[in-house]
Amino acid sequence: MSNMPRTPARRSRSVAKTPLTPSLSAAVNSLTIASPARKGSKGSSKSFVGDITNPFFQPSKSRPTSPLKRATSGGIQVSESLQRQANAGVIRKGGIESRLDVITCDYRPPKPDMKRSKSQPAVIQRDRFITNREEQDVAATLELMHLNPRSASPGHTARLAEAANLPINKRVLAFHEAPPIPSSDPLMAQQREIVRPLYARPGALTSSTSSTTNKTRKVAMQPKRVLDAPGMVDDFYLNLISWSCLNVVAVALGESTYVWQAATGSVVHVGDAPEGSYVSSVDFSQDGAFLGIGMGTGDVELWDVETNAKLRTMGGHQAQIATLAWNGHVLSSGCGDGSIWHHDVRIARHKVMELLGHAGEVCGLKWREDGELLASGGNDNVVNVWDGRVGDVNEESRSSAKWTKRNHTAAVKAVAWCPWSPSLLASGGGTNDATIHIWNTTTGARLHSLSTPAQVTSLHFAPHRKELLSTHGYPTNSIMVHSYPGLEKVAEIRDAHESRVLFSCVGPSGDVVCTGAGDENLKFWRVWEVPKKTGKKAGKWYDAIRHDNFTAEIEKRTTKLSIVRPLQHSQFNVVIWPFF
Amino acid sequence: MATKQAPTRQAITLKGSTAIVTDFFKFAVNTILYQRGVYPADDFHLVKKYGQVVMLTQDLALENYLNKILQQVQKWLVSGGVTQLVLAIISKDSRVTLERWVFDINLQNPPAESADEAVAAKPESVIQAEIRDILKQIVSTVTFLPTMDEPTVFNILAYTSESADVPADEWVDTDPLAIEASKSQQVKLRSFSTDIHRVEAMVAYRYEG
Repeated sequence: MSNMPRTPARRSRSVAKTPLTPSLSAAVNSLTIASPARKGSKGSSKSFVGDITNPFFQPSKSRPTSPLKRATSGGIQVSESLQRQANAGVIRKGGIESRLDVITCDYRPPKPDMKRSKSQPAVIQRDRFITNREEQDVAATLELMHLNPRSASPGHTARLAEAANLPINKRVLAFHEAPPIPSSDPLMAQQREIVRPLYARPGALTSSTSSTTNKTRKVAMQPKRVLDAPGMVDDFYLNLISWSCLNVVAVALGESTYVWQAATGSVVHVGDAPEGSYVSSVDFSQDGAFLGIGMGTGDVELWDVETNAKLRTMGGHQAQIATLAWNGHVLSSGCGDGSIWHHDVRIARHKVMELLGHAGEVCGLKWREDGELLASGGNDNVVNVWDGRVGDVNEESRSSAKWTKRNHTAAVKAVAWCPWSPSLLASGGGTNDATIHIWNTTTGARLHSLSTPAQVTSLHFAPHRKELLSTHGYPTNSIMVHSYPGLEKVAEIRDAHESRVLFSCVGPSGDVVCTGAGDENLKFWRVWEVPKKTGKKAGKWYDAIRHDNFTAEIEKRTTKLSIVRPLQHSQFNVVIWPFF
Repeated sequence: MATKQAPTRQAITLKGSTAIVTDFFKFAVNTILYQRGVYPADDFHLVKKYGQVVMLTQDLALENYLNKILQQVQKWLVSGGVTQLVLAIISKDSRVTLERWVFDINLQNPPAESADEAVAAKPESVIQAEIRDILKQIVSTVTFLPTMDEPTVFNILAYTSESADVPADEWVDTDPLAIEASKSQQVKLRSFSTDIHRVEAMVAYRYEG
C-alpha cells in the first residue's frame, strides 16, 4: 500500500462545499493538476465503456474486488516527481504549494479526441449540476461508486458518504428464495365469473333450483294453481290475502274484496271500499266466520262470511290500516300513523286499547295462538312484542311493549309465531336488511339470524315440520324454505312471481301456500306434504282420537297392545284391551 | 407488553421494541402488497390490529416466506445489524423496479438507568397510534402512486452492517434494485419510534416525464 496517498489534512476548496456529483468531479478534475494513470496502481483495470461522463459508474453489476485508485485528471503533463508529490497530497512546483484531494478510484484517461483544454467547457453538453444519466442505475453503495471505504480514512469516507447520502458499510441482502408467485389472476377475473350469477337480474338466471345439499327436497317449482287477481296493489306495506280455516281465501283487489272458495272455486264479491279509497288489509277470524277489512281511510269493516253481510264499521284511525290480526273477539289493527288499536267487536265502543310503540307505519301484526302476546313490526325497523291482555275498557289506556327490538335495518313486515315452540318469534326485514331474526320472547334474546338475498315480505312456520317459509321481493322474487333450527336452505323457488312476492298465507291443511304479487297473480304452491296417517298404530290412534275429540274408538284391527296418549281436553283414559 | 420496571429494563424493552418493529413490518408489507395489487385482493382477509382493521394474507406460501424473512430481520434488530429494509416492487416480465418502499431503522440511545424515573416509557398506545398513522398513510398513497397494470412481484432487501451475522445460505448480496434518479419521485412518509428504535418510511416510485 505504499502508493496509498494520505488524506490531506485540508480539503481543497472546490470539493468541500458542493456535493460530489460525477460531473462536478470531472469539472474539478479538469482544473487541477493531473497525472496519467499511475504505475503500480493496484487492481485490475476494469473494462470501462469509455464513457467519461460517468466515471464512477460501471455497467456491470459485479462488485469491485480490489481497491482502485483514481487520480485527478487534466491536461498537464506531469513528471514522476510531480506525481509522487501529488500522491502525497502536496505539490510543490515553482514554489507554489497546492494541496489536492486525491480520490482513490480508478482513473480512465480521456480519449484524445475528447481531450479538452481548461478554458473550454466540456464537449458533452450537460449542465454541471444536473447529471445526465442514462439507463444506468444510481449507485446505492460506495462499492458501486468504486470508492473504497476501507482504504481511505474513516473521516473522509464518512464525509463522502454523507455528502453522497449513501449508506456506508452496508451490505444489501435479499432472501435467497424468490417470493411466491400469486397463484390466481390478480384481476380476480375468475372470482368475478363465479359470483356473476349473484349479480344477474332475475330471469337471466337458469331456472330456479333447490339447494343441492342432501337435505334437498323436491318442491314443485310450478304453482299448483294460478288465479288471476287484476287490480292487486303492488304495495309492500299492505296485507291483502287471508286464508281462513274453512278453506276460504279473501283477496283485496284495489277497492273491492273477494272471497274464493277453495273447495268449489267460486268467487264471491264481498264489498267495496268507500269512494276514493282502497282496501289495505284483510283478515279472517280464527274460526273463519268473520272477515275484517281495513281501509285506506282508517275504517275497519266487519263482515259475516256466511251471509256476506257487513256487520259494522269501526272507525277512528287516522291513516290506512295496513294490517289486521284477530284474537278471539278482539281485532287488532295496525295503522299508518304507528298506532295499534284493539277493537272488541262485540261492544259498541269498540276501541278497547291503544298501543303506541311505532314511529312508522305498522305493517306486520300477529297474535300468538294462545293470545298471550302480540308481535308487531313497523316501518321504523322496530319489532315490538306486546302483552296480549287487553286492558281496562278505557279508551285512554295504553301500555308499553314487553320487548322492543331494533336489530333490523329496514321495515319489518314479516312476523311469525312458531307453532311448536310458543316463545319463538321470527321477524324479517325489508330491502336494506333482508335478514330473518329468531327471538325468544320469554327472555328477549335473539336466537338466530339468517341473511337472505332479498327483502323479506312474509314469514310462516310450517305447521307440521320444523321449517320456516319466507317470501321475498326485490331482487329475487322468491319463496324460500329453511330448516329450523339449522336455518339451512331446504328449497327455493326463484322468480315465483314476476314482481315482488308481497303477500302470502298458509292453507288450513298446512301443505299449500298462497302467494300474491303485483303481477296480478295469485299462485298456490304445494310446499309441504300433509302428514299422512301412517301405518304405525300409535299414529293411527292419535289421529283418530284427535279428530273425534271425545271418544276413543278402539280399533279392532289392533293386534298389539298400545298405549294411547291422553287427550288434552278429554277426561277419558283409554282402556287397553288385550288381544283375544 | 408493558415495560416492566426491572433492573435490566433496557434488555426487556429491546426485545419488546424489536417485536413491535417486526410486527409493524409484517403488517406494512402486507398492506403494501394488498394496496399495490401484487397479490390478488381476495387472498387477504381482515384482522384487527393497532385498533383498526388491516389486511393480512391468507396465502400460506406467502405467509411462510414473509415469516422466514421477518424472523431473520428480528434477529438483526436485536443485534442492531439492520439499518434499512426495502420492499421493492418490480415488474414480473421486464424486471424493472417500479416502486421502492424504504424503511429506515435507527437505534435511539436508550435513556440512562438513573433517569428512568423521570423519563417515562413511551406508552404503547402512542406507539400504536403512530403505527396506525403510517399504515393509513400507506393506504392513502394509492391515490397518487402510478397505477401498475402489469403483473408484479416483490423483493425484500435488507441493508445490514458489515458486522451483522448473515446466514450465508439464506441471504445473498444483490443489487439494490434502485430506480434511476431522473425517473424516481420520492415521498417521505410518517415515522414511528419506540424507546429503542425509530423507523422512518419513504416511498420512491418510478415516474416518467
